[in-house]
Amino acid sequence: MQLLLRSANIVLPLAYLLVAVDYGFVFFAADPRAQRAAAPALRAVILLHLAYLLGLAAQWGQFPAATESQALSLIAFAVAVVYAYVEWHGRERSTGFWLVALVFFFQLLASVLARPETPDRAIFHDPIFAIHVSLALLGYAAFAVAAAYAFLFLQLYRDLKAGRFSTFYGKLPPLAVLERMMLVALTAGFVSLTGAVVTGAFWAQRLYPSDWLHDPKILATLITWAIYGMALLLRRLRRWQGRQTALASLAGLGTILFSLVAVNLFFSGFHAFL
Amino acid sequence: MPDSPHPGSARDSLDPAPRGAGDPGPAGATAAADRAGAGASEAGARARGPAANGAAGPSLLLLGIDFHTVPIELRERVTYGHEEAEKMLVHLLARSAIAEALLLSTCNRTEVVLQPRDEEQAYRAALDLVFLSRAPEIERPGLLYVKRNQGAARHLLAVACGLESMVLGESEILGQVKQAAALAEAVGAAGPVLRRLLRSALAAGRRARQETAISAGAVSLGYAVIELARNIFRDLDDCRVLLIGAGEIARAVARNLAERGARQLTVVNRTPERARQFQEEFPQAAALPFAERFGAIREADLVIASTGADEPVITRRQLAEAMAARPSRPLLVVDLGVPRNVEPEAGRIENVFLHSIDSLDHLIQRNLKRRKDEMPRVQEIVDEEIAHFHGWYRGMQAEPLIARLQKQAERIRRQELSQALPHFPESSHEHLDRLTRSLVRKILHHPSDGLRGREGTEHLPRLDLVRELFRLDDTDPDAGETHEASERAAGEGSATAADADEKPPAE
Repeated sequence: MQLLLRSANIVLPLAYLLVAVDYGFVFFAADPRAQRAAAPALRAVILLHLAYLLGLAAQWGQFPAATESQALSLIAFAVAVVYAYVEWHGRERSTGFWLVALVFFFQLLASVLARPETPDRAIFHDPIFAIHVSLALLGYAAFAVAAAYAFLFLQLYRDLKAGRFSTFYGKLPPLAVLERMMLVALTAGFVSLTGAVVTGAFWAQRLYPSDWLHDPKILATLITWAIYGMALLLRRLRRWQGRQTALASLAGLGTILFSLVAVNLFFSGFHAFL
Repeated sequence: MPDSPHPGSARDSLDPAPRGAGDPGPAGATAAADRAGAGASEAGARARGPAANGAAGPSLLLLGIDFHTVPIELRERVTYGHEEAEKMLVHLLARSAIAEALLLSTCNRTEVVLQPRDEEQAYRAALDLVFLSRAPEIERPGLLYVKRNQGAARHLLAVACGLESMVLGESEILGQVKQAAALAEAVGAAGPVLRRLLRSALAAGRRARQETAISAGAVSLGYAVIELARNIFRDLDDCRVLLIGAGEIARAVARNLAERGARQLTVVNRTPERARQFQEEFPQAAALPFAERFGAIREADLVIASTGADEPVITRRQLAEAMAARPSRPLLVVDLGVPRNVEPEAGRIENVFLHSIDSLDHLIQRNLKRRKDEMPRVQEIVDEEIAHFHGWYRGMQAEPLIARLQKQAERIRRQELSQALPHFPESSHEHLDRLTRSLVRKILHHPSDGLRGREGTEHLPRLDLVRELFRLDDTDPDAGETHEASERAAGEGSATAADADEKPPAE
């Protein structure tokens, strides 16, 4: 088992790299063979990745996010799953290169940071905590995917508005498709984050009955949740157009990064993991 | 003689004297090679290798005029419709000097490709029948181009790839080459050589469009509008199109849009009569009075304005009001009017993508540049397909000899076996027969492959050497039959030249 898990540290980034290269052929050369192979290849690697995470859980008897390496691998997995879902929903593969490249980057980092031993942490044995973290990671991954689509949407929007026709022009799907994929990712992220907030509140109320609402990370998460909720609501009510939603998506990602990095660095609280 | 445009009077004989490679001339292929740039030419020359002098290929002759060399007034007189082309091919084949013929006639070019038995006479016949009979002015120097052997083959492939087209990389020409091939086949004018050449030309044309971006991107106004729409909307089928103005430009764009699936057309025009005429051509289109254009904008996804009005017919304020009243859907506005029909400031409105004729031109120029950048890659494809064509031709030349060689070996085998068998028990006869067959097959395998597929101009001397070494002279009673059989086999292999996309046998 140990040997298999170690070899996965080489196989997984390599597999994601190959899939990213395949998607690169789709994006840069519009290669029909690469287009046919891309989605099945990605799904196969996701299954392999799932097997690796389950193997980690079985090996250490706890949720596989106890080390930086495991957490990064979990993030890579979450982004891959969300992208595969968005791609399936939008039936559009030309943007996969950017997202799968991001997945490869996370998994590579995870493999580089991998250590043979994993500390045994009691909190990672709690199933509600595992659900909370899984949902939070899935939500953040979905928001990252949505931000990627928002960026591409704004790029194409600017090109079409100004009649400049940059490198992206002609290679990306139409604005309507980019917006739809962004909204699918945003919705998936919002639902997941809502689940994470609910399970987190339940779990925190049980373990830290007093004062958990004043934790800076929880506050930042609630702000994030509110931003995305508002963006989705205004888009649904047709008050906002694609461009505003894309900007909100990028702003939401900024809040997430703040919540993940700055809060951990500058504020103390019980939410120190991840 | 290197391939060159015919620099003198067209009635001059086909001068066998060598001409300098730098002969000036207006020939399309020469111009195209110049357009491809020195890099492409050098790459092509390298890829062509030792066979570049044409000695390794079959004898071919191409005479033609195109938009580079001849004005439309003259071209239209030398354009052949389907039935005229059919008759012309029959006339050409009636000349003993011509073994095979192909006539390609489009609005931009008329070319005849021949497999001559007598080059000089074939040239004169084609010149008189195809060109001078319809436009004696073509006799003037510099109008007609003539290409021979490999130059002729390369030119036909370049034409099929769209390298010689007025709009670089346009796709229609491939269909026209296909039609010309089908006609030559139907008339019986395409023999093994032209049939195989056409197969290479069609394969090159298809590969150029599949493997390179030579046909990518819009290079006309109508398709530029479609390209912009496809960058904004998921599907043209669901796109509601509003045409403000019903003139010729609007019709041309509407035609392109309808071809690409746009079904929901609405036209508004100052004169109802013109709108009705528009509806006659596009029965699916709805017509509205000009004053109702703002109401129509609220429903539209794509607005095409092409009126001759001196003042803008859509102002920023009017468009902003229309946008405020519609759901948050993007609106593509293409202003084809000069002076402009839409206030330029309207482009600042959120979710409005306003493009003028200049912006479309910018897009077209960008796409044209991308196509030009692809020319070296297309030249490489042409080189590869030419190499396949020549490989096939070398194989075809070698087949009769190989057949004779095999026949001779088989005769010797049978002779020796019949003498030897009485000395062996009967039970081993079948075994000995198999053994000797296998021996002969294995001994001849590599020499046969070598005769079929070697590159270079030493190919023909090698055939002669083999003929001499094994005494396979032409008086062999089976030789004629074998040669015909091999030609038949070569011909049958490409019976569907117009549709086939197979590679020739591996060299």
